Amino acid sequence: MNLTSPTKFRKNILISTVLASLLAVSMTSAAFNIGDALKDAAKKQIEQQTGQTETPQTPATDSQNTTTTTNNAANASTTDSQPTINWKSPSKEEEIALGREITGNLLGAAPLVKDEALQKYVNSVGRWVASQSERPNLPWHFGVIESDDLNAFSAPGGYVMITKGLYRKMSNEAQLAGVLGHEIGHVVAKHQLKVLQKQQLLNLGASFLSSKMGKDNKIISKAIGSGAEISARSLDKNAEFEADRLGLSYAARSGYEPFGLTDILQILGQTNPNDNSVALLFKTHPLPDERLASLGDSVGNKLDNMTNGKTLENRFYKLKN
Amino acid sequence: MRKLTQWLIAASFPALLLANNSMAAEKGSALKNDSIRFEPYADAKVTGSLSRGDSLEIISKKGAWLQVKSKKSAGWVRLLSVKRGSSSSSSQVGGVLAAASGRAGTGQVVSTTGIRGLSAEELKAAKFNEVEVKTLESYTQSAEQGRQFAKSGKLKTVSFPNLKAVPNQTAVNGGSK
Repeated sequence: MNLTSPTKFRKNILISTVLASLLAVSMTSAAFNIGDALKDAAKKQIEQQTGQTETPQTPATDSQNTTTTTNNAANASTTDSQPTINWKSPSKEEEIALGREITGNLLGAAPLVKDEALQKYVNSVGRWVASQSERPNLPWHFGVIESDDLNAFSAPGGYVMITKGLYRKMSNEAQLAGVLGHEIGHVVAKHQLKVLQKQQLLNLGASFLSSKMGKDNKIISKAIGSGAEISARSLDKNAEFEADRLGLSYAARSGYEPFGLTDILQILGQTNPNDNSVALLFKTHPLPDERLASLGDSVGNKLDNMTNGKTLENRFYKLKN
Repeated sequence: MRKLTQWLIAASFPALLLANNSMAAEKGSALKNDSIRFEPYADAKVTGSLSRGDSLEIISKKGAWLQVKSKKSAGWVRLLSVKRGSSSSSSQVGGVLAAASGRAGTGQVVSTTGIRGLSAEELKAAKFNEVEVKTLESYTQSAEQGRQFAKSGKLKTVSFPNLKAVPNQTAVNGGSK
C-alpha cells in the first residue's frame, strides 16, 4: 500500500518505524543492556542517512495514522526477508541458527583439525563442563581449528572453537576445561548475541532508510556482517571478566582443579605481545595480567578449600603434529 | 602437626635459598599488593608484604598458594596475586604496570598477516563452509556421553556458586588486606 508513495512520505514512515522499534527496545534495555548509547548511535545513523534530525515533531493528531503505517511497514519488511529473526527476544532456535552461520564462516577461515579423536575428546570435556553451566540443554559443539594463533571463539547457541595453537600450550585437561569454560560463559551470558541484537537494530534503521532491504534477503548474514567479522570484534571488557569468572566456576563445579584457566592466562601473559599469534587475542581482550588480577579479586579465599580438583594430565589428548 | 610443619618450613628455608642460587628458579612479579604469610593458610601469620610490580622468585606451589621470595621477605602468597615469568622481559613491553593501566598499550600491536594466523581481515573475508559445520556437528557428544566421560576420569561435581564481580578492582585500589 505504501510502496508507491512518494519518497518523502516513505521516509517519514520509516523514521517512525525506527523510532517505534527504538522505543520498544528502550523498554527492555535493562534486559539487553543496550541503553542510551544505542539510542544515540541509532539517532546519529538516522541523521546521517536522511540529513535531518529526528526530533519528534509529529503532531499529536498524526499519531494514530503513524501507528497504522508503522505496522504496515514492519509487516512488509518481515515478509520481504526470509528467514526472520525476532531481534527483540530471539528464540533458542534463532540463536542457534545465528551461531551456526557465524561458526560456518569461521570454519571457512580456519578449518577443523582433521583428527577425530582430538575433536571427540574436546567435545567430551566441553560437554561435561557445559552441563554444569546455566544452559545445559543447548546442543553444545566444540572444535579445534587449524591455526597457530592463540585464541578461542564462541558463537550464540553453543558453538565453541579453540585454535590448535592454544591447544598446544595446554598440558592438562583442567586447563582445557577452564578455556572452554570461558567460552561457554560467553554463550551462557549471551554476550555475542547482545552485540548482534544491537548491531541488527542499527542495520535495520540503515537498511530501511537506504531502501536496500529488498536487495538482500539473507537477514542472518546481514545481521552478522561479513564473514566471521563478529569473531574478530571485541566484547565489552567486563564481558571478558565475566566469562573468566564463569569459566573458572564451571570448571571448578565439574570437578577440575580450578586454576586451569589461570594457568593459561599465565602462559598468555608470558607471550610477547608483539607476536603475531596473539595479535588478535590481545586486541580483543584485556591483557592477561589484568584478567588474572580481576579473577584474583573475585576468588579471594573461595578456593582455599577446593583441594580435590583433578588435572587429568594423563588422559590429556596429545596432538599428532 | 601445624607446629611441626612450621618448623619444617623454617628449617628448609636456608636450603631453598641455597638451591635458588644454583637452580634457575621461576621468576615472577606481584600483580597486586598482598600479604606474605608464614604458611599457605588465610589465617597464617603475616610475615611480610608485596607491592604491585615487586619482582620475586617462585619456590613452590600448594593449592591456591605460591611460596615466594622477594627482596623484602619470603613466605606464601595467593596464587592469583602473582604473575609468572621473568619481569625483565615483561618490562620491555610495559609489563604489570602497562596491564594495570588497561589496554592503552595494545593499540601499538601491529596486526600483520602471519602464516595461518587469524587476523581480523581474514575473518572478515571468510566464506561459510557447510561441509566443515557438518563435520563439526558429527563430533557432538550428548550430555549422557559427557557424564560417562567424567565418570571415567573420576570427576565429581562440586557445589561452587558462580564467582561474582568485586566492585573495587585491583587496578584502582591495590586490594591488599
